[in-house]
Amino acid sequence: MHIRSALARLVAPLALALGLAPTLATAAETLNVYSIWPENWARPMFEEFEKATGIKVNFVRFSSGEALARVIAEKSNPRVDVLFGGPVETHAAGIKEGIFEPYKPPAFAKLAPRFKQVDGQWVAIADDPLVFMSNNKFLKENNLKPPASWEDLLNPAYKNMLQMADARTSGTAVTRIFSILEVNGRDETKAFDYMKKKRRNVQVYTKSGGGGTLPVGLGQAGAGIFFIVDALDTKAKGYDVSISFPKEGIGTAAEAVALLKGAKNPELGKKLIDWASSPAMQSLYAKHKINFVPAHPDVAVEPSLAEVLKGAKIFPIDDAYAGANRKRIVERWVNEVLNLKE
Amino acid sequence: MARPAGPRAAGAGRDPALRVTVALLWALLALFVLYPLVSLLARVFVDGGRMAPGAALAVLGDTNQLRAFGNSLLLAMLVGLAGTALGFLFALTATRAGLGRGWLAAIDAVILLPLISPPFTTAIAMIFSFGPRGLITYQLLGIKGFPVYGMGTTFFSETLTYFPIAYLTLRPVLAAIDANVEDMALSLGASRGQVFRTVTVPLAIPGLANAFLLLFAASLADFATPLILAGNSFPVLPTQAYLQITGLFDLRGGAVLSFALLVPAFGVYLLQRYWVSRRYYVTVSGKAGARTSVKTVAPWLRPILVTGCAAVAITIAYFYALLLYASLVVALGANHAWTWRHYHVIFTDGARAIRDTLIIAGLSMPLGGFYGVLVGYLVARKRFAGRQAMEVVSMLNYALPGTIVGIAYLIAFNDPPIALTGGALIIVACYVFRYSPTGIRATIAQLQQIDPSIEEASLGLGASTATTFRRVTLPLIVPAFFAGLGVVFIRSMTAISATIFLVSINWTLITVRILENMTELALGPAAAFSVLVVAIVYVVIAAISRLLRSFHAPGSASLGSVLGG
Repeated sequence: MHIRSALARLVAPLALALGLAPTLATAAETLNVYSIWPENWARPMFEEFEKATGIKVNFVRFSSGEALARVIAEKSNPRVDVLFGGPVETHAAGIKEGIFEPYKPPAFAKLAPRFKQVDGQWVAIADDPLVFMSNNKFLKENNLKPPASWEDLLNPAYKNMLQMADARTSGTAVTRIFSILEVNGRDETKAFDYMKKKRRNVQVYTKSGGGGTLPVGLGQAGAGIFFIVDALDTKAKGYDVSISFPKEGIGTAAEAVALLKGAKNPELGKKLIDWASSPAMQSLYAKHKINFVPAHPDVAVEPSLAEVLKGAKIFPIDDAYAGANRKRIVERWVNEVLNLKE
Repeated sequence: MARPAGPRAAGAGRDPALRVTVALLWALLALFVLYPLVSLLARVFVDGGRMAPGAALAVLGDTNQLRAFGNSLLLAMLVGLAGTALGFLFALTATRAGLGRGWLAAIDAVILLPLISPPFTTAIAMIFSFGPRGLITYQLLGIKGFPVYGMGTTFFSETLTYFPIAYLTLRPVLAAIDANVEDMALSLGASRGQVFRTVTVPLAIPGLANAFLLLFAASLADFATPLILAGNSFPVLPTQAYLQITGLFDLRGGAVLSFALLVPAFGVYLLQRYWVSRRYYVTVSGKAGARTSVKTVAPWLRPILVTGCAAVAITIAYFYALLLYASLVVALGANHAWTWRHYHVIFTDGARAIRDTLIIAGLSMPLGGFYGVLVGYLVARKRFAGRQAMEVVSMLNYALPGTIVGIAYLIAFNDPPIALTGGALIIVACYVFRYSPTGIRATIAQLQQIDPSIEEASLGLGASTATTFRRVTLPLIVPAFFAGLGVVFIRSMTAISATIFLVSINWTLITVRILENMTELALGPAAAFSVLVVAIVYVVIAAISRLLRSFHAPGSASLGSVLGG
């Protein structure tokens, strides 16, 4: 084994330079993955997977849009086997491109309907609710309490001090907009009126879902709407921020995993999906301080995360409704809210 | 078009070495520039075996995209003008203000910094300094709610990032203007202002035109800066194209928007050709007598020039001081306790990225540098069929946004017969063909100042084209060669937009790690990586400079540092 790896180390750079790498890489028990989860979460998960199964995972991390663009471009000769993580709407877009190989892991039957695609094109591995995150110093300076209602964000004190994601690039933003529709009883006029009012307080719509977390942490922005994992990470980094929920309720989005059509190692890929969709992986989130809510019903939510979530009103976004209206709503958002003329 | 090379230039027909070189370059350009773009176009316009351009072109009619197009043009124009002016100021100061060697080295060192600026970190430094609660705007000046997002900051940031390219193009040009010419004008009774206006600036026109072209195209294609700083009120086309592809999953629309950027870039190219081709700029004739010291800059003007340069240099230095500080504290803005932790992280977790980046940059630099002078030399000096086409094609990858170049490479080189994805070669090729145009333009600008009769003499005395190029031309265009070499190396260390689509499970890059760190809110390691990149670039540039200086015969084009001096 040692000699082999030493040899591989000598030969590999040359082979790589010549573009022959994939043929070598697939020779061993290794699996190739594009991860949408940041490396600091993906790496420990894949190391645990290797410990459990002996299968080594090679991976690169991309944002959801970049990962999908790559998988689509590579579709006739896929370079990886599994697309790991990322909000389900990325996977929903992928289904249209025909890039996935349907597969139903053993946990499939146990998962709630919103945590799986009917044909098994993807399955969920985690759930990620939205939260309000605000900078404590900013709140204090303006004598504010952490926002506890969607209406609170319309307070003129927040003028030009909110940051949140752009609906064209971010699943976080799409989940946010559908949350607003939901709390307004899907009355689009009411929901868009609210968003237009809120627009005046928005400093910038960031390209990525977590793009505003650092500005809020640094106090360059006062508050924003983010996924709970990003918000808790900001807090863990030492930034003085508060996390709160609106009393009207807020949406949550599932994180998914999918097997790629034409994968070179489909059997190994299925093993990863089996493992990731089961309690085997999801019970490890707490150990590695990953603040996702497990998707599998048998895994308990870690106590400190449960404490944050206590009393929060969280509802799932209706897939059928969101899927059917997403494009139209995002376009309307771009025209009426993003490019608001005053 | 009338060129000084004119009828005296050697024709391809008589010179087999030239013919082989041209054929080889065309083969490379076809493979690494045209083939990927054609593959992408085919993917965009062909639907189910039929041409279907309608759907893709619809995106151009959108009023928001039209506004973005207008914004892009305006921004590129302003960045081109301001960046060229700033580059000229620095080049003038470096070549005419009579500064000591130490000062020149200091200018060169600081001017390198913005070129090295890895993506995202400087934008974060901008927001940290100029945001609504910014260190400078709020804490120092007390301005509340400074609008950090918009055209102003994007323009400021891009100008600061790209003006060194203008400096690198202009400095050799100004240095090569024979001081005797300016002296003659002075002794014939012209004032210093007149000499500057009627001699120095007109002779620098090839450099100014080329610098403007490079800056205009760079700004037009830049997406990283506006992505963070432009905000919502000032959309520009490359960012829109990026959003179209990675956000709305619309590759067609994104590609069409990107190709739309080629139109203004090509327009400016034609304009600069027209402008440059009307005059004759040769001042290096091979007959030059003893060099006189340059007197064009009046003593009273010197402090003003130096102060201007110093102000810019201090601004740049401030950003990097902030970056250095961010790499040494636990979490900028939250916990300012000193720590080495981030450096420990990058040398353990990031070791592979550092190794891969060095290998790839090490391969790209000599290839790109040599390719740059070769194309520049052939285009400016030789006559062969398709010469202008070669000049245009060699600029294409530079003028397109990185996202689209990256995706085009991915589509073209993913399947056999030429399956390069997953390897290092595809990244090297991308760098060479995307970042060599600085070397090409610098070479062309400089050759327009050198009398072809010097080379003709060599040819006439029986030397081959190759020998003449190596022994006569190359030494004359050495500063342009170094400018090209340096830019390719620096870009190889810092580029991200195209390569995000080309890195693979086998090869990763420092910039990808930086982006990853930013995603993880790990500002410390991102800053530490940036500091490391700056250090590596300085060490490498200094080492090559030393090496080449020991090779270089004294007395020929003076060579202070690798980058143009």
